[in-house]
Amino acid sequence: MTFVPLTRLPWRRANKNHRSLPHHWVDPISLPRRIDAWRHWLDDQPGGRWLLCQRHPEDFCAALIALWESGRIAVLPADDRPETLSRLAAEADGTLPDTPGDHSVSQHEAAALAYPEALAPASTAVVLYTSGSTGDPVRLAKRFDQLDAELAAHADLWPLTGSCVISQVSHQHIYGLLTGVLHPLCAGILFCGDESRYPEVLAARIQEAGDAGLAPVVVSSPAQLSRLPEHLPWGESPHPTRVFSSGAPLAAEHAQHAERLLRTTVIEIYGSTETGGIAHRRQTQDISWQALPGVQLSLSNEHLTLRSPFLEDPGSWWQQPDRVAPTTDGFELLGRVDRVVKIAGKRVSLDRVERTLADMPEVHEARCVDLDRADGRLGVVVALQDEAVPHQHDTRYALIQRLRARLSPHLERVAIPRYWRFVDALPSNAQGKLDRSLINRLFADLDDTKAPRWLGERHPDPSSCLLTLEVPERLIFLEGHFEEYPLVPGVVMVQWAIELAGESFGELGEFQGVERLKFQRVLRPGVRFTLRLTRRNDGIAFAIDSHEGRHCAGQVRLQAQGGGRHG
Amino acid sequence: MNETRDLSLELKRLIIDTLELEDITPVDIDPVAPLFGEGLGLDSIDALELGLALQKRYGIKLDAEAEETRHHFASLNALQSLVEARRVD
Repeated sequence: MTFVPLTRLPWRRANKNHRSLPHHWVDPISLPRRIDAWRHWLDDQPGGRWLLCQRHPEDFCAALIALWESGRIAVLPADDRPETLSRLAAEADGTLPDTPGDHSVSQHEAAALAYPEALAPASTAVVLYTSGSTGDPVRLAKRFDQLDAELAAHADLWPLTGSCVISQVSHQHIYGLLTGVLHPLCAGILFCGDESRYPEVLAARIQEAGDAGLAPVVVSSPAQLSRLPEHLPWGESPHPTRVFSSGAPLAAEHAQHAERLLRTTVIEIYGSTETGGIAHRRQTQDISWQALPGVQLSLSNEHLTLRSPFLEDPGSWWQQPDRVAPTTDGFELLGRVDRVVKIAGKRVSLDRVERTLADMPEVHEARCVDLDRADGRLGVVVALQDEAVPHQHDTRYALIQRLRARLSPHLERVAIPRYWRFVDALPSNAQGKLDRSLINRLFADLDDTKAPRWLGERHPDPSSCLLTLEVPERLIFLEGHFEEYPLVPGVVMVQWAIELAGESFGELGEFQGVERLKFQRVLRPGVRFTLRLTRRNDGIAFAIDSHEGRHCAGQVRLQAQGGGRHG
Repeated sequence: MNETRDLSLELKRLIIDTLELEDITPVDIDPVAPLFGEGLGLDSIDALELGLALQKRYGIKLDAEAEETRHHFASLNALQSLVEARRVD
């Protein structure tokens, strides 16, 4: 079967696929019976908008199509957290159960159901959700003509004849819906999803496709392609025709990694829930993005504006909140114009994370930062009321648990910050800003396992400095020292004083010796402490204190090179 | 007995190091508490990372039965049983 648009009910014309694949594959020919069971169930239900959240693609398709054939609209929540479902259920006319019950439709009953008519292109097919720049959910309705226009563009660029589709992404989002479910339906080919999101399952599905003589097409995302394990038997399976990636930019090295392991081309699709697909590229060949067929782009002053048949109003220009730079044959993406980042393909508004934290009584303010780390995780700097500041591991751990719990009704789990820094006040530079160099300093101990965690400093006068620090739990010096009772070795405390004095006062010269050194208390991982540094003629004096009391104090003699004894 | 305890500690360290759980120490990980969702609070990306780490460290190849994989990742004790049964080093 060649491409049939949704409005002409491709699932009612599916031909028998002569290939046999295990039951976790969806064969479009098996759908009408299940669609009719749902239509029976819906018969005495109200019309309108129905909430649909189904992980398995076959259950999903049957219910989705039954809603469409009965003139209803499918509302697709972006995630399945209970808070999301109950909020959306309140706005919908009904929520579909997991199954239509025991509605095995007899021949007789099936005949009683009117053969479905073609769907009206101008009517609404689905309602999708995404998070807007403020972090509040934005509702977006898509008509059949919008979906069909985009599916036709896909069919044009990447026809699926002789293929089957393995999807690793959720069909509750626009990209997974179009690429992983609707395009295969329109092409009348076999497809699967759900557990294919695991790499081991993906490898097995590719093998099954090959055994059935079908060329697999993989619908994936950067989160998965960047973590494809080397050891799976990719080389023994047939190679996919192509792999799609969308939801976030794919790093160049991950594009190469995926192309090498899967021995295929990785096509990225750039777009958004609002716009549908905008452009595509194969970045191992050319890093420029090229517009999808029918999409008109206008690039000026780093702004991207577009007109597209996939937009709600195809005639108007749409301003995309991404910064771009034109190239000879397309454009490059430079980042968002607003404070929205993507984590595992999910939009996260940094403003929203900050506002949610700031709503807590013990929090003054919070600054959420994209640390540009390979793991994509967020960091957050939280200014706390004095009494809420954690002074040791247990209280810090408990506070983080409490803050995570506070965020979890509002954010998907992957979007919750992983790296927490608690301060009395947000550190600021001479312009009063928490700038990148301060942020780097706050999170420097993530990569430097020899350094204490820096949480701010004050300079009461030019010759003294008061630093707030923490002992990182992963400090390398704790390892193997006392397995059951880890503590910071005394020599490390002295070393920290010397290093941080160099940062505060500039180069002070070579180490000459330590005097009046007193260790009064052990310093344990997770403890927050202050390091007081005072400049002396012949070096520095230092003292390390925490809420437990004094840990260590002493004087270090330092001598500038070439100075001193010549006199 | 000692070996069991060593492996448990080793796995806790593997989880902490692989997933950069900077605020968590081995004693914070309850061997019977869920690793994902509630409990330690790990997510779908962590599951992929952990799968890679198990392969690298112990040569364990997870199989295509996703249900089974989820079962192995249920708690630290479940993970430990997987490593004991399937390590190839």
